Amino acid sequence: MLSITNSRRNKRPESAHAQSVDAQFPRPLQAPREAAFPATIQPLQLRIRRPRGLWGSMFKWGGGAAVVLCMDVGLAMSNSFPGEESPFELAKKVITMFVQRQVFAENKDEVALVLFGTDGTENALAGEDQYQNITVHRHLMRPDFDLLEDIESKIQPGSQQADFLDALIVCMDLIQKETLGKKFEKRHIEVFTDLSSPFSRDQLDIIIDNLKKSGMSLQFFLPFPIVKKGGTGDRGDGSLLLDDHGPSFPPKGITEQQKEGIQMVKKVMMSLEGEDGLEEIYSFSESLRQLCVFKKTERHSMPWSCQLTIGSNLSIKIVAYKSVSGRYTFFKEMLPGREMCLYKKLMPFSCSPGFRYGSDIIPFSKVDEEQMKYRSEGKCFSVLGFCRSSQVHMKYFMGNQVLKVFAAKDDEAAAVALSSLIHALDELDMVAVVRYAYDQRTNPQVGVAFPLIKDTYECLAYIQLPFMEDLRQYMFSSLKNNRKCTPTEAQLSAVDALIDSMSLVQKDEEEGTIEDLFPTSKIPNPQFQRLFQCLLHRALHPQEPLPPIQQHILSMLDPPTEVTAKGQVPVSKIKTLFPLTEVIKKKNQVTGQDLFQDNPEEGPTCKRLKTEEEEARFSVSSLAEGTVTCVGSVNPADNFRVLVRQKKASFEEASHQLINHIEQFLDTNETLYFMKSMDCIKAFREEAIQFSEEQRFNNFLKALQEKVEVKQLNHFWEIVIHGKVSIFLAPKENANTDTAAAFEEGGDVDDLVSTSNTYQVFSCLNLADL
Amino acid sequence: MSGWESYYKNQGDEEEEQEEGLEAGGDYSYSGRDSLIFLVDASRAMFESQDEDELTPFDMSIQCIRSVYTNKIISSNRDLLAVVFYGTKKDKNSVNFKNIYVLQELDNPGAKRVQELDKFKGQEGKKCFQDQIGHGSDYSLSEVLWVCANLFSDVQFKMSHKRIMLFTNEDDPHGDDSAKASRARTKAGDLRDTGIFLDLMHLKKRGGFDISLFYRDIIVAEDEDIGIHFEESSKLEDLLRKVRAKETRKRVLYRLKLKLNKDVALTVGIYNMVQKAYRPSPVRLYRETNEPVKTKTRTFNVNTGSLLLPSDTKRSQIYGHRQIVLEKEETEELKRFDEPGLILIGFKPLMMLKKHHYLRPSLFVYPEESLINGSSTLFSALLTKCLEKEVLAVCRYTPRQNTPPCFVALVPQEEELDDQKIQLAPPGFQLVFLPYADDKRKVPFTEKVMANPEQVDKMKAIVQKLRFKYRSDSFENPVLQQHFRNMEALALDLMEPEQTVDLTLPKTEVMDKRLGSLVDEFKELVYPPDYNPEGKVTKRKQNDESSGSKRPKVELSEEELKAHVSKGTLGKLTVPALKEACRMYGLKGGLKKQELLDVLTEHFQKA
Repeated sequence: MLSITNSRRNKRPESAHAQSVDAQFPRPLQAPREAAFPATIQPLQLRIRRPRGLWGSMFKWGGGAAVVLCMDVGLAMSNSFPGEESPFELAKKVITMFVQRQVFAENKDEVALVLFGTDGTENALAGEDQYQNITVHRHLMRPDFDLLEDIESKIQPGSQQADFLDALIVCMDLIQKETLGKKFEKRHIEVFTDLSSPFSRDQLDIIIDNLKKSGMSLQFFLPFPIVKKGGTGDRGDGSLLLDDHGPSFPPKGITEQQKEGIQMVKKVMMSLEGEDGLEEIYSFSESLRQLCVFKKTERHSMPWSCQLTIGSNLSIKIVAYKSVSGRYTFFKEMLPGREMCLYKKLMPFSCSPGFRYGSDIIPFSKVDEEQMKYRSEGKCFSVLGFCRSSQVHMKYFMGNQVLKVFAAKDDEAAAVALSSLIHALDELDMVAVVRYAYDQRTNPQVGVAFPLIKDTYECLAYIQLPFMEDLRQYMFSSLKNNRKCTPTEAQLSAVDALIDSMSLVQKDEEEGTIEDLFPTSKIPNPQFQRLFQCLLHRALHPQEPLPPIQQHILSMLDPPTEVTAKGQVPVSKIKTLFPLTEVIKKKNQVTGQDLFQDNPEEGPTCKRLKTEEEEARFSVSSLAEGTVTCVGSVNPADNFRVLVRQKKASFEEASHQLINHIEQFLDTNETLYFMKSMDCIKAFREEAIQFSEEQRFNNFLKALQEKVEVKQLNHFWEIVIHGKVSIFLAPKENANTDTAAAFEEGGDVDDLVSTSNTYQVFSCLNLADL
Repeated sequence: MSGWESYYKNQGDEEEEQEEGLEAGGDYSYSGRDSLIFLVDASRAMFESQDEDELTPFDMSIQCIRSVYTNKIISSNRDLLAVVFYGTKKDKNSVNFKNIYVLQELDNPGAKRVQELDKFKGQEGKKCFQDQIGHGSDYSLSEVLWVCANLFSDVQFKMSHKRIMLFTNEDDPHGDDSAKASRARTKAGDLRDTGIFLDLMHLKKRGGFDISLFYRDIIVAEDEDIGIHFEESSKLEDLLRKVRAKETRKRVLYRLKLKLNKDVALTVGIYNMVQKAYRPSPVRLYRETNEPVKTKTRTFNVNTGSLLLPSDTKRSQIYGHRQIVLEKEETEELKRFDEPGLILIGFKPLMMLKKHHYLRPSLFVYPEESLINGSSTLFSALLTKCLEKEVLAVCRYTPRQNTPPCFVALVPQEEELDDQKIQLAPPGFQLVFLPYADDKRKVPFTEKVMANPEQVDKMKAIVQKLRFKYRSDSFENPVLQQHFRNMEALALDLMEPEQTVDLTLPKTEVMDKRLGSLVDEFKELVYPPDYNPEGKVTKRKQNDESSGSKRPKVELSEEELKAHVSKGTLGKLTVPALKEACRMYGLKGGLKKQELLDVLTEHFQKA
């Protein structure tokens, strides 16, 4: 519904008028086209009320609305000033947007389209000279994309003129006839015209009378804003929506005929609705702004009646409604085009259900389940107790809905009882903890019910609370006692300034009120807006790619510009005061040590090391670890290399640690660790050459051999032999001059065997024999 | 609970109460399994209680471990658990170290394992332990840790988190042997290097447990948990809470940039602190062997019967009598608005947050240094100032690439500790979701009828009488508990499942007793003398029952049914009518409408 109507219309009794309209509107053969016109038009004050419920919040219980769109396509509609859109185009836009909303709102509304000023004539009332140039373009039915396409392409400006009151009569006739036998909550006519065609006023009283009797409502949409004389009945929000060209009113180039038309429209609306009637006259531009937002499928809350119980003896009849819920599904169907369909191939007959209990799977048939499952005792809303409202923190709220709990309808005793509970809780600052079960088949919940007192109503709001199983107890380190992240005074005051400058509220000191500059709960969900935009585009242009997001959707999501502007300075101050550096991601394989290194700041320097490091013998990532302080067991060989090269520990100390690890590895008696030990031994040997610590290595190897003998780790020793590790043969002096040679010389254990050498502490032959 | 969701579908009602939908949240992808070793000191001191009726430290540890086991079965049965005793007489481990007994290797928790633990409970358990395993005199902690490390490395699965919990009441195990002590220290350091966390769950010791003697160097202070040190626990409850706090690893849902404007940003981690626990979905078993069945779903072309690849399918939706077709990628693209992140909009006073505008469970925001250094400092400053000025930050929140943005309020939360120094509330922001205009629904409200002060005062007295202290963990989910008790009973071949106490039921007797005559006084004040608040409803209940017991009147003749089947209008009939029809022909249909339709159609087509 383009619900620019007051809801009170709903209450108007519907009279079942089945009489044909034309019976009551005998059309005179020749209408006097010229009429006296008031001498002066007051410089009117602009006052247009913001239509209520444009988001489609009109609340209805079943039954849709029958809407006739009555559009002027006459000659004058396509006149426009250069650079401006013609009233025809504007009206078309408004109608398109209205129909778009209707298509996606998925309600029961039906829409008809009547054009007047068309070249042809096609309507039920048309006679010889009567009701000419009025075409019923589409009869009352659910709006769809065909209608949209029609509006887009088929509706063309006509070259004729037609009486808008005549068109109104055609619309009324159409509504009368086509709503017969259907149930509609309301019947509604929307007229889009520039009022530049002449009209005859002699049927006016009958029109008004008939509109009133049949309970039809009427709205006018004009290319210019109209203003009510005197501006009475101020509702406080009138000044909010001044039209763009407000001050320059009356609009340029308004003709005498139009002025007369305005008077007529006013008269009609006044006599229908009184003063408020004028508020049902809109300008195109205003409507466009309001209609650019798609309306979502209307969702109604079903009442859930139950009894609130306190103990066994006190119960209050209540009714509850879902009031906030953010669950939607779109694209439920997954059809791969027209000719294909989805099939699920399962073999349900040879299967039975089972459940996991830890590592075990337990067969559990439906029959078992029926017998053993938890049995709820049916619907309930029972108070378990009351507690201080501060104990039930918002962070515990669960589930996906808020229920509003009222006293049962038309039950004053229940209303008083619930009211006393609401006020008692409110005054004590307490809340009720409640067991809630929707019905016997759903699982019970524990939730909180807290009082909500508004001007017009009071109720309890219910929200689910977690069970013990739903809670996660994570711990986070304190931010207060952590020296690393304690902000300085200067930093704190910068943040202080930021908060002050980016405030989203405006305080009115005099009235003590606070205005919200960014009421998020008034913003329509951009997801739907985008979805509808794309669906619409795809429906009308199936071959084209999806359009970009509309600007008005994006700007809806942005903070008010003045807030962002005010925040600029404090934010840049924060930028200078707080060192914020992006961490460059390391591409190396992430090892445990990378994850748990103490000092991530070392990262960049290590990078440099990487390029400088020419030795490719060992992984650079080990250097990148930065702070190797001792030889660990994960990567002892590399740790050892780093330690001795960076001179962080003496060779003696480092080698001692390394030896310890080698011994530990040997203790496991596993091949994997033997290989690790081999790496260590090799590293030891190489570094020993570099640092002229051959003797230390020799001693180690000797000691190792003894150990191996004791522990009977022959297979390990074989690995050592095959790994071509040997003691240093050359005397110290030689080693210094020609370590490489020494290494070469001792490179092959088998060679070594054949060489008799004075330095040989043990014979490799012996070793092999072991 | 997906199972009975489809089972008990409320009919045709948009408002159906899908309390337990299957949107089980958990957006994180598992990168591996969490593993946890319970390392329990089994030396003699652990079996000595200080009081007659007090639990021995060992008993306490076992009960605590059992509770973790049963909890894990419910919450995350993929996690791996193990139990290792040390200081034992017998030994059982892969490296044949003395005095170390691996009771259970790292594996999923299961019924058998729980049963095994139960053997060591209480006085009998003590005896059982002494008979089966016995106390040893000597052990080396470094060897113990070595064994634990081996347990981790023996696991075939990828592990995301490794943790050892050490239960002991000996604060200086290697007091006389400095070599052993230093080896233990080195080994503990090695564990840390390989990413294994070691927690000390120290129990009460006569004369107090002095961490500084030995364990200070052993326990791995996680860089993130600096400053959180527990007091020793003397009660099971305390121990349980300590273990609970550590047992699950905190998983960050998203790491996001919090942008103050275009070029100033800090990084935060988003965590969820409440997560609905669901009954696990059933596993399909092959009827003959009770082995789990693999399910495969394939798509076929209706006309040609050829197999379709996922890329061959499109998504469609009907609107305004027209089928609108989108590619799968396009349906994703529809949801793309912002880059992932939090964009600061501005600040509002805390009191402007409306409790009744609740939309989804809130999340928790804590600074993250991994992407931008210095985030913690700015975060800390923001938190401090928001607390001080009592404001919340409004942000636009896009958790992932293809997720439409929503507005959230970052509500500052101060750190809270209890007397055991266990964190009750961590420092950070609560991320509270704010509804859009479409999320709110208009509700027809009952006209306001105010109660008079006398009536309100009487109700106040009632409220005061029924005061209690709410704790978020005081209610267990009766449905889940019942389910797992059932499973346990079946798994362990018990005669009958253990009785559950439904904590969600009101304790009416206690309440009535506490209220005394207040209720009658209140009723006298509020209700007219002949008013019966239950009257109407009970009457309707009877109606409901009678209509429920009566079969639906709509009896369809065979001709009618046949006509429906041939015209394909069977779907217009209501479920009760269809059920009735199925009953007439002795057909066994499911409970869902489609199942009933299928059965009936098949029947008539055959005939």
